[in-house]
Amino acid sequence: MSASAKLEIERSFRDQIGRCSRCGFCQAHCPVFGASLRPAVNARGKMLLLKEVLEGKLELSRELAESIFQCTTCASCSTNCPSGVQVPEIIKAARRDMAGLGTCHPAFVAMDQVLEQYPNIYAEEEPGDFDRPRNQRAEVVYFMGCVGQYREEEATEAALAVLDHLEVDYTLIDEVCCSGVLEDVGFGIKPVLAEKNLELILSTGARTLVTGCPYCFRTFNNKEVYAPIKQEGVKIVHLSQFLAGRDLGVRTDQVVTYHDPCDLGRHTGIYAEPRKTIRALAPNFVELPHHHADALCCGAGGGVRGAFAKNSLDMARRRLAEVEEVGAQVVLTECNSCAHNLSNAKLRAQKFRVLTTPQFILELLEQSQG
Amino acid sequence: MQAKSKEKLADIVGQENFSDGIIDLVSYSSDASEHSIRPQAVVWPTNAEQVRDVVLLANELGFPLFPRGAGTGLSGMAVPRSDGVVMDLARMRRIIDICIEDRVAVVEPGVVYADLEKALAPHGYFYPPDPASGKVCTLGGNVATNAGGVKGAKYGTTKDYVLGLSLVLGDGREMRVGGRNIKSASGYDLAHLFVGSEGTLGVFTEIILKINPKPTATATALAIFDNLEDAGSAIIGVMSSGIVPSVLEILGRETLEAINQNTDLNLPEVDAMLLCETDGFTQAEADFQMARVVEQFQKNQARQVRQASGGEEVVELWKARKSAYAVLARLKPNFVLEDVTVPISQVVRMFKGVQDIAERNRVSIATFGHAGDGNLHPQVLWDATQPGETQRVEKAVDELFALAIKLGGTLTGEHGIGLSKAAYMGLEHGSVSMDMMRVLKRACDPNNILNPGKMALEG
Repeated sequence: MSASAKLEIERSFRDQIGRCSRCGFCQAHCPVFGASLRPAVNARGKMLLLKEVLEGKLELSRELAESIFQCTTCASCSTNCPSGVQVPEIIKAARRDMAGLGTCHPAFVAMDQVLEQYPNIYAEEEPGDFDRPRNQRAEVVYFMGCVGQYREEEATEAALAVLDHLEVDYTLIDEVCCSGVLEDVGFGIKPVLAEKNLELILSTGARTLVTGCPYCFRTFNNKEVYAPIKQEGVKIVHLSQFLAGRDLGVRTDQVVTYHDPCDLGRHTGIYAEPRKTIRALAPNFVELPHHHADALCCGAGGGVRGAFAKNSLDMARRRLAEVEEVGAQVVLTECNSCAHNLSNAKLRAQKFRVLTTPQFILELLEQSQG
Repeated sequence: MQAKSKEKLADIVGQENFSDGIIDLVSYSSDASEHSIRPQAVVWPTNAEQVRDVVLLANELGFPLFPRGAGTGLSGMAVPRSDGVVMDLARMRRIIDICIEDRVAVVEPGVVYADLEKALAPHGYFYPPDPASGKVCTLGGNVATNAGGVKGAKYGTTKDYVLGLSLVLGDGREMRVGGRNIKSASGYDLAHLFVGSEGTLGVFTEIILKINPKPTATATALAIFDNLEDAGSAIIGVMSSGIVPSVLEILGRETLEAINQNTDLNLPEVDAMLLCETDGFTQAEADFQMARVVEQFQKNQARQVRQASGGEEVVELWKARKSAYAVLARLKPNFVLEDVTVPISQVVRMFKGVQDIAERNRVSIATFGHAGDGNLHPQVLWDATQPGETQRVEKAVDELFALAIKLGGTLTGEHGIGLSKAAYMGLEHGSVSMDMMRVLKRACDPNNILNPGKMALEG
């Protein structure tokens, strides 16, 4: 549409929003709908709202935030949409429009403000100390991500221990938030943060950047501001890719299942590598009822965990019910944020464990070493 | 609607099951049709008492109520009025009983079709109507619309499975009709009066459905035809060959092209493709039937016949077929999906008639449908911003319905009348029939509270 249109959804997504045929098939996939049974938060409901905005029947007011901001951007709607509507991209644009209009959900404004003042999304003053080389020259840079550094330290500790075990020549850096998530919640990547990460990564001389966080992985791979990483010939991989096919020399009879993180699966297409590692460790591997591109979201993404805690937990509980259904003793995932939300949501009565794959590897390594 | 009335509604269902927020009102303003009207409020009742109390309140205060399932209907049946309240039954979603001995499933109206399928699977049973929206649509909605699907030819539609209902009439009285018996000859068959009543007579609170043992083997074949006449002869040949396929679908050229644009299936872009499935309890049984089908395909100049027995390709093929309408919807900004149904012998005459109508009125119509039960889905695609196009589409749709009725058919095989086809009721139903429908409406809902404006009942 016209370049002069005030709203990004009008400039860039008028046709896409119009393509929604209102079939409602997304209700089968949208995790927020699944948790709330409320059509207003389903993808179709969001498209109906934005259509009315484009038709001038509705303002992008604060009243719409409960719908527009209640989306984990998990992409299960767009993956299954017969009309090919790219809902997550539309939602991100609508959020930017709302941030511009001052009608953004307050919890999301806070995310932007925190990253104005702090180098991490949790407004933590002290970085985690993992007692590993930092800002050294090495073959590999390991990038922990905010959740790994400040909330799921044990998962990060395990990831580093596995790298140690494999005698990988790696270094940590004084990393700051990649800030990619801000683009999903209505704002933009912070250039100051991006430049710091870039400088630190490139000054190590590393040929490979391994991320513990699937979201950071996507940001480094896809965002223009981080293009110099690849231009300098540095390969960007997620830890699950880095570990796939390596001989870890341990095995277990435990029944293990795997939760596909949206950022690694639907958004990036990495399904095989995590399974390769897990199947080698645990031959009694079972898939969850929804897996690969059909996987249910853990409910944490897109800023939903912070702003809509109840529905976020409900989404995680729906996922955990599937773990029970298949009778797994352990559910593994490759995303610290998923692990965090699933662990928080797990009920006392649920006896299985939620771990990241590196945590599970480390546990088996420690057992084998007696 | 006054604040006080809203308070009373919230008192009945609880604050968490009431909303008059703009996001909810907009999301309940439409279904999958082109109609859109914002209601005043929405309630999500969680039990039969709440349904009854809301209906009683509506009678007392005089506001209309719009019962709703998943809102996947294609003819505006669930679209409210601006003075109305939507009653979304999705939160009444308990599967109350599955009784294999009695061959019944008892469900609340908000149970999703696919959830019942999943619950029946471990017993080796299924609930056959199989609507294309089965992953999301609710059984209450299915009963209210007499929903059908791809398996109509062999397994019939929703009406063939409804044994009993608990419901709240439009005047607030509660009623149980039918029961758990596979047979009953006791009095008027009131349960079936409510099947396909489009929420105009009562609101279901419990549904008793007959279930079937699930065939364990299937065979699939696909045949392509260079002209429609041959495909038509093949349909008649198959349906009179002594076997009944579980599925016999026809897809026209425009539909095949659209599916190809959306998938990697690389379907041949020919005048007609027939897609057939046979089923049974042994592979030999399914294959035996399929051999009869293939014979008919070959006898009627199929250019190519391809057989598949399971696997990824078959899954993808059915998925593509079920998403055909939404895929076609991509092609133009506006669409309307019809479901005219004719006697099986008239399927090709109807199909060709649709093509003539499209040509004559210079509109784009893609057709696919359930050839095995005579149910076609002409999908009219247009751009309402183009001058004159909407008028041409309206004329084409008029002609479409007139042709279906002329061929001994019906306006709708499975989508229902709703708002979209209300104006055409008189084409199909005589004045005595219409009068009888209105008498029944008044008997169940004297104050015209339930889903007013649908099915031309006020005419």
